[in-house]
Amino acid sequence: MKNMFKSILAALAVTLVTLSTMAAETVKVGVLHSLSGTMAISETSLKDILLFTFDEINKSGGVLGKMIEPVVVDPASNWPLFAEKARQLLDKDKVSVVFGCWTSVSRKSVLPVFEQLNGLLFYPVQYEGEELSKNIFYTAESVNQQAVPAVDYMLGEGKKKFYLLGSDYVYPRTTNKILKQYLKSKGIPDEDIEEIYTPFGHTDYQTIVAAIKKFAAGGKATVISTLNGDTNVPFFKEFANAGLTSENCPVVSFSISEDEFRGLPAKELAGHLGCWTYFMSLKTAENAKFVGDFNTWLKEPKVTGVDYKVSGIDTKGRVTCSPMNLSRMGVYLWKQAVEKAGSFDVDKVRVALIGQKFKGPAGEVTMQDNHHLINNVFIGETLPTGQFKIVKALGPVAGEPFSSKFLTAGK
Amino acid sequence: MLLNFIVSIRICLFIFLAFVASPHLGAATPEEARKILADSAVEEDATKQIAFILKLAGVNDPVVQQGVTAWRQGGLFLYETNSLKQPFFLDTAAQTDGKARAIKVVDGKPIQGGDGKDLIVNVADFTPVDTNSKLRKALKTVLDLFALSDPNPKIRRDAVTKLGQEQNPEYLPYFEARVVLESDPESVRALTEAIAITKVATTTGADQIAAINELKRMTSITSLALLQEMEKAERKNPKLTPDAKKALGSAIFAIEEHIRRGNLVGTAFRGVSSAAVLLIAALGLAITFGLMGVINMAHGEVMTVGAYTAFMTQNLFAKWFGSSGTGFDMYFIAALLLSFFTGGIMGLVMERLVIRFLYKRPLESLLATWGVSLVLQQLFRQVFGSANVQVNSPSWMSGSFIVSDVLFAYNRLFVIGFGIATVIGTYLLLTKTSLGLQIRAVMQNRTMASCIGVRTDRINMLTFGFGSGLAGMAGACLSQIGNVGPGLGQLHIVDCFMVVVLGGVGNLVGTVMAAFGVGVTDQILQPWLGAVMGKICVLVGIILFLQWRPAGLFASRGRSLED
Amino acid sequence: MAACRVVRLTRTKLGRLIMGLSLSKRELLLVCLVSFVGLVLLPCLNAFVPPDSFFHVSNFSITLCGKYLCYAVLALGVNILWGYTGLLSLGQCLFFSLGGYALGMYLMLKIGNLGQYKADIPDFMVFLEFPKRFPETGGLPPHWIPFKNFWFATIAVLVVPALSALVFGFLAFRSRIKGVYFSILSQALTYAAMLLFFRNDFTFGGNNGLTDFKFILGYDVNSNTTKRTLYIASGVLLLGVYLLCRWLTQTKFGLIQRAIRDSENRVLFSGYATVHFKLFVFVLSSMICALGGALFVPQVGIINPSEMAPDKSLEAVVWCAVGGRASLVGPIIGAISVNALKSYATRAFAEQWLYILGGMFVFVVLFMPKGIVGLPAQFAEWRGKQQRHKASVSAPTPPADEKVNDTAIISSK
Repeated sequence: MKNMFKSILAALAVTLVTLSTMAAETVKVGVLHSLSGTMAISETSLKDILLFTFDEINKSGGVLGKMIEPVVVDPASNWPLFAEKARQLLDKDKVSVVFGCWTSVSRKSVLPVFEQLNGLLFYPVQYEGEELSKNIFYTAESVNQQAVPAVDYMLGEGKKKFYLLGSDYVYPRTTNKILKQYLKSKGIPDEDIEEIYTPFGHTDYQTIVAAIKKFAAGGKATVISTLNGDTNVPFFKEFANAGLTSENCPVVSFSISEDEFRGLPAKELAGHLGCWTYFMSLKTAENAKFVGDFNTWLKEPKVTGVDYKVSGIDTKGRVTCSPMNLSRMGVYLWKQAVEKAGSFDVDKVRVALIGQKFKGPAGEVTMQDNHHLINNVFIGETLPTGQFKIVKALGPVAGEPFSSKFLTAGK
Repeated sequence: MLLNFIVSIRICLFIFLAFVASPHLGAATPEEARKILADSAVEEDATKQIAFILKLAGVNDPVVQQGVTAWRQGGLFLYETNSLKQPFFLDTAAQTDGKARAIKVVDGKPIQGGDGKDLIVNVADFTPVDTNSKLRKALKTVLDLFALSDPNPKIRRDAVTKLGQEQNPEYLPYFEARVVLESDPESVRALTEAIAITKVATTTGADQIAAINELKRMTSITSLALLQEMEKAERKNPKLTPDAKKALGSAIFAIEEHIRRGNLVGTAFRGVSSAAVLLIAALGLAITFGLMGVINMAHGEVMTVGAYTAFMTQNLFAKWFGSSGTGFDMYFIAALLLSFFTGGIMGLVMERLVIRFLYKRPLESLLATWGVSLVLQQLFRQVFGSANVQVNSPSWMSGSFIVSDVLFAYNRLFVIGFGIATVIGTYLLLTKTSLGLQIRAVMQNRTMASCIGVRTDRINMLTFGFGSGLAGMAGACLSQIGNVGPGLGQLHIVDCFMVVVLGGVGNLVGTVMAAFGVGVTDQILQPWLGAVMGKICVLVGIILFLQWRPAGLFASRGRSLED
Repeated sequence: MAACRVVRLTRTKLGRLIMGLSLSKRELLLVCLVSFVGLVLLPCLNAFVPPDSFFHVSNFSITLCGKYLCYAVLALGVNILWGYTGLLSLGQCLFFSLGGYALGMYLMLKIGNLGQYKADIPDFMVFLEFPKRFPETGGLPPHWIPFKNFWFATIAVLVVPALSALVFGFLAFRSRIKGVYFSILSQALTYAAMLLFFRNDFTFGGNNGLTDFKFILGYDVNSNTTKRTLYIASGVLLLGVYLLCRWLTQTKFGLIQRAIRDSENRVLFSGYATVHFKLFVFVLSSMICALGGALFVPQVGIINPSEMAPDKSLEAVVWCAVGGRASLVGPIIGAISVNALKSYATRAFAEQWLYILGGMFVFVVLFMPKGIVGLPAQFAEWRGKQQRHKASVSAPTPPADEKVNDTAIISSK
């Protein structure tokens, strides 16, 4: 206890000293991702990639000549704590921008804080849309960049029956509602669409898989899964054991990226599909550099130029995935906008962000004035190695948060 | 719609062309066939690849069959020398830790290195030849046609069922030729079914009616969707004879009736298997909470320790024996034993450091162990990463078998068996050994037991260790049906407590009955109400049930008041 | 001037209360001092001192403290149930959330057409197509309509949790469910409720819950003045609840309450209907928790089903244990200190804070059975033992029987 107290004091002293010497050359940037609790499983990787990106930028001279100084907090998968931490970052730490949130509810919880204190948040994870705040930039995939292209692809593959399976919360419910409307507009009758939800942390998929097996008996069925990360393992184990494979009933999952794959039985998943705006297996020079640099960084994680000790990094078998890439895109877009505006002032940066383009690992992205990206969409098939093989590149799709707009435009 | 139609026509055309291209089915010589396969592997255009592959249908050559099989499983590689691409697959006979001889597709001989010896390649150095779903479908069709004469009847059966679904009259000769030769009754059934399904769609009149009646007799579930589709089409655009229509209606009715009966058995099996999962998870708690009165909120984390033990054992075995084969498959047995020890040791440490101070304050043990569980969860995150880890099931626990259209998955059967075994083991330990006698003595009256010379402190420690060991084993077991991550324990803890409380604290039989009741009720409710409402109903049901029996199903009856 | 008048007013009111409370002079002084600092000084420092001054209290701190005060109210609710009646409920956060939801519904309806869709009904009702489900009310489910009135919402904050507590408590106590059974059952209840509220069909916003509030009683809910007012309101509520509990424990009722805790059967045999007593305390506790929840929601800006998760209630129990249960100040200290530690540690030790928190829980349970407020007594006892030990070395006497005061709280078999 005594030693710890001493080390805390020492750490405080060190930060105070460094703060006073370096305050002029750094810019504080908030990282708001859960490092404990239920969402840590996904969000920890995003914290890692953000620190990596800050290091990358600092190495090449920082933003407007200032080094990025990360302020990492742990909102612990606790939604009121998210709001508190956001307020702390903006009000106490006076950060210039915050990168963070994974679940919609966490974003909803911090939204009023960002609007009141006029902060800036970059949100990197596919979500249900139906929201637009002047203080949030959504580098995330909207429903028309992920769910709709995937379903289009399955229709093209000759699938006629759709089993919409999701965890019982807002993202699956909304996505499936949109998909149902979309499928109906494509001539799929109601009785060929099944919509089923399971609670968070559901572990018993016997009944559902038995139902899918009957549903898929004719061979024309596909499962569109919006199950959240944790429940995928029991589902796919049950699925494979029932003799269902990607050939007789492919599953399109919207929440399984390479990172989630690390905890899934890859052999049992081979051939199922995913739809994202980035895959680790993309063969571009930018992606090769991104993946290579990230792996080098993991060996000796640090943030150049500022006194910040990186800890708690898992180095085994790391991969990159779409939310990670979009997190990084957000940082670069923000950097460019700051440089264009010549200032860290939120109001100026916000204006400068619109129309920013950045050529990332998955091709060029553009920030639209609806705060969503124009981004390249890909459909990939899972391989036993835990990677995706790209089966279709759909080219740039403009993100649109409000389903009423793209549903009417599609008809 | 039109596009879909064109695509499907194109696929049909390919298949048709493939048959036309080879004048007699399977007449390509082995050499030609190997050449075709080698060419298609280096071909870039997926459409051409499919066309090539479909030419291989019916070829009877082991090299081609091995090559196609390897390709489909991602085991076909390209050996590139001087811009020449040579497709090869690995010699399964001589495979050790990812290294094997490379067998050329062109002639079935090993690739030789510069020194004239067989080249031993390392799989990790090569990337497999790509596949996509259409290509794999074509590969599968070809393999299915190979498989019609496979020595393994199960493979024959699956192939026939698959091909029958396509309702392609081109396959009929194969089926009919095979059904005469076939000796395995299941395969005969599958063949007859496939023939009938194909005929229903492609013939008219008496033949069609006969085919429908055949399907009705067989209560063929596979054909139900096709028959229903026919009936639907018929309603829109009648073209069947009245007799055929009648036959169709009665066939559908009979099959649906059969499904209903199957569902009943299926639900019962699923209920028993989820009961077994609950039981295995709750049994350790029934010992520590039920018998000892310690409310161990870290029970779930002890299970997590067991699951991570399974993960580590798996990695070790994969290192020693490679990631498949009998050696690897044995890992789970070792993991079960090891996880008992890791869980047990975990429990002993907890008992010594925290719990032994709290025997007199059970509700406070709840708070302290909750603190322990928070610490452990974060520890798992730091040691194993916050992402889930991959635990692959051994081959003898993956897959399922089917009796009268009801599915029995091997891992579920194992869990049921394991549940029964642990209950019996625990029961014997508690009732037939002197340790068990001492345990019960200490639990019933600690002071009295101490007075007559039982070393209560030691017994407490052992009992808690045993309960935790059971939890560890439960964790290893759960790794086979669910995910393994830092949050594993949290998923099960509430259910575990419910089961023990419902059964009556301190009563093993009660725990078994409670697990059974909860599992079966949950599975019965699920199809009606959906998973979420089903779960809510079970919880509310338990609350109401305890109104009726406040001390659980099997309350220990005594004259003494609790305080 | 105004502050002075407030103080004088409070004092006269307090003066009248003292009669019933029989507060000791020292306690009275302490309560007054703490209330003055919390309710007058801090808000003044926030409002009137310039931001760059050393004495300025930031808006962030005020909001944060407001949140802690709500948690303290929750802890008091848990405490009169656990510390004073011996009923360990692991589901008190259900009532906290129900209170929050009741006020949240009012706040939701006050957003008006400022939501994402510029519609008259809350956003989630628009995209879940409620207008199709409830066409006759324009999309608003019928049970939402009365929540347009603040007074109705306020009544609902008290009545809904009280009714649910009444039903559950009646069922539980009637069949004499107690001890661990009661704990586990209350946990199941809150877990079931959480699953229910997660459902979008349940018309309470599903997983996202109720959020993005704009106005309360016509004031901007996010403005600093409102936040300050809400903070003061939470403080007043806490003071009120404290005094209520203080008064209750002084009465004959409080005596029976503690008697139930120590030996329910003896109370029963003495002719008291313990079920009614327990039921009353349970309902009262649920109302206290609900009030805390109602003030919590406008301050943090969100209420969603994960507030009903079993861990949250467990956490509240831990606050009581840390601060010291079976006292009234203990839970308040516990709730505030644990949450302050959490706020600090999640920023300073983002990766390791769970070790600190978890380790602290274990430490407190093992070595500080009476919590923080019990520390002086524990220290004195330890000193006494030391001295006795010294004395016993010189003149050996049989050691005094070690008495564990609080074992009686838990009905061990």
